[in-house]
Amino acid sequence: MSNSVISVISRFLEEYTTSTPNKLKVVDAYLLYILLTGAFQFLYCLLVGTFPFNSFLSGFISCVGSFILAVCLRIQINPQNKGEFLTVSPERAFADFLFAHTVLHLVVVNFIG
Amino acid sequence: TLVVLVLALGAHALTPSHHLTPSDLVRLQDVLSQPYTDLKAAYLSIVGQSKLGLSVEACDFIKSNLDPSSVESLFYAAEASQTIASCEIPVSNETRDLLHATVSEDSTMSQIHQAVSALSFLGLPLASQEVVSALKARISKEDNVLAITLALQTASHLSQQAELGEILEEIEDLAARLDDLGGVYLQFEEGLEVTALFVSAAYALSDHVGVEPPLKEDQVIQLLNSVFSKKSWDSLSEAFSVASAAAALADNRFHKPVIVSAVGPATVSHSQPLLQLQVMDVLCQSLSSANVLVETATSAATKATILSQTPFTQRDGIFQLNFMASQPASGYYQFSVAISGDSRLVGNHIELKVKVSTKVSINNMDLSVVDKDQSIGTKTTRVEYPNKAKSSFIADSHQNFAMSFQLVDESTGVELTPHQTFVRLHNQKTGQEVVFVAEPDSKNLYKFELDTAERKAEFDSISGTYALYLMVGDATLENPVLWNMADIVLKFPDEEAPSAIQSKNLYVPKPEIQHLFREPERRPPTVLSNTFTAMVLSPFLLLLLLWFKLGANVSNFSLSPSSVLFHVGHAAMLGLMYVYWTQLNMFQTLKYLAIIGSLTFLAGNRMLAQKAVKRYCTE
Repeated sequence: MSNSVISVISRFLEEYTTSTPNKLKVVDAYLLYILLTGAFQFLYCLLVGTFPFNSFLSGFISCVGSFILAVCLRIQINPQNKGEFLTVSPERAFADFLFAHTVLHLVVVNFIG
Repeated sequence: TLVVLVLALGAHALTPSHHLTPSDLVRLQDVLSQPYTDLKAAYLSIVGQSKLGLSVEACDFIKSNLDPSSVESLFYAAEASQTIASCEIPVSNETRDLLHATVSEDSTMSQIHQAVSALSFLGLPLASQEVVSALKARISKEDNVLAITLALQTASHLSQQAELGEILEEIEDLAARLDDLGGVYLQFEEGLEVTALFVSAAYALSDHVGVEPPLKEDQVIQLLNSVFSKKSWDSLSEAFSVASAAAALADNRFHKPVIVSAVGPATVSHSQPLLQLQVMDVLCQSLSSANVLVETATSAATKATILSQTPFTQRDGIFQLNFMASQPASGYYQFSVAISGDSRLVGNHIELKVKVSTKVSINNMDLSVVDKDQSIGTKTTRVEYPNKAKSSFIADSHQNFAMSFQLVDESTGVELTPHQTFVRLHNQKTGQEVVFVAEPDSKNLYKFELDTAERKAEFDSISGTYALYLMVGDATLENPVLWNMADIVLKFPDEEAPSAIQSKNLYVPKPEIQHLFREPERRPPTVLSNTFTAMVLSPFLLLLLLWFKLGANVSNFSLSPSSVLFHVGHAAMLGLMYVYWTQLNMFQTLKYLAIIGSLTFLAGNRMLAQKAVKRYCTE
């Protein structure tokens, strides 16, 4: 059983490193960064408590929001998905990404207190 | 002197609730006898004092201040000089003509009054009918209370043959204008002075004409209450009006209000068996010709009638009655007194509350300590007032301390139940005192029992020597009693350490309350939060590492102006976020964001377009 899990994982990693374009890997690295940041914040909150709650929330939601927007970006710039995003060029995707981030950061900074 | 209690019970007539006491009269005289500088003040002072029965020597002042060309001045001089013996004001023909000329419809009521009064007091002839018609004309023109009052006063100087009927009717009309205040006062809204002037004018005219004024007894008393309700007078004219009214009420042909007051408190006792009453008129002159009769005297407690139709005897202007001769029990009695002897008397039925006090004596005071198990008294000691028991009593938790005694009237031997019969135990060492009530049984024998075990809470279980006192008091007792009868040593079980009892002082400052400011939330140690800050920022390093490893395309960085501008603008936006966090509010931020954002957008748009074109070309 564990054997098959390990083999699946190793196969997955192999495929990932070979067939994923560099651009997407860059975005994936960014996603990993966001994930870790959010996880560390959550860990802190679990350990120490929720004071000040508004700061924790804004930080965590910033991570979550950024992750979601980055995922959207990744989907939209993936050349394999080009068929589904005929009207959205990668540049347009990136511009949307930036605009959405601006709004997100405005809200986050407002809430962070 | 005590003011008589007023009882207005429907059928019962009103009695005066305010009157001038002798000290009030003295004060009135003092106000009226103040030094004066002009003729009007002199008039008010001289004539006012004459109303109170005092004559003043001031003829020279009047003569020297008289202005024969002024009707007002002539009036003051004329009336004032009348009250002074052998003070004649010289009258010239011009003066007489002036006065006669003033009597016309065109003069004011006040001028007519002054002219007619001056003519009358100077002994000059008057044309009464002319005056009457002038008065009638003025009354219809000047329909205020003061003017009509002056008309009444003027008419009192006129010949009795003149037609004064219509003017006499004005008294009734004016009386209808009086305001009834609570059934006690009757006065004009114009005030005290006008009311008092009305009283004197009404009686002056009524006496002159010989017709009883249309005022009911109660109205007369109410007018009296109003006029004498004020005991300090603001002005000389107010004092004058009160003196005039007092003189009018004291001596007129129809109504004579009578003032009855007890001499001292209305209390009788064996040492003071006489109930003494003063019966006076309004000017505190004793009515020696009156007959004072007790119609009924009933006990307030038992409602039994003690006296009926008993007369007072008169001695030196005071009416007295030996009430103790009827041997009343101590307590309160309701007296109904009637004054007769003059058909003019008003307010001559009085209700009076009389107190009979007595001395109490304590009989058969027996103190004993009784064992709880047996009901046999172990030691009964009799103590005589005011002595103290020679030995002290000891009572512990197995014993009760008992006391029994009788309270009797010293002179009659009748048993008494005073309002206050207390037993007080006082611990001299700690200052603590405990008070109990002693209650009489059905045979009026007072009993008190102290169960040491049961009552230990009141004593705070503090054992020791307590001084035993008996306190007896009542409104009808002349000799309240505080008697230290004995000392008791009380022994309580489970004695705690006796703490000195501090007398409850309610007025010392209370302990200060320290304000507790809201404590800030517990923060985690700085080390921990710093560690986590580092942890949270560390993935950024990881990101840079990964990007570097992936060979991110830093080299493809074009230096076109739009690209530079875009990156600068973007950096500025991030910087604005930081500034927003630290300093700005949302509105300012949005303002700056709009500016920077639009620049960045334009630049970014251009840059991305260029990128797209480049990509398009390479594909």
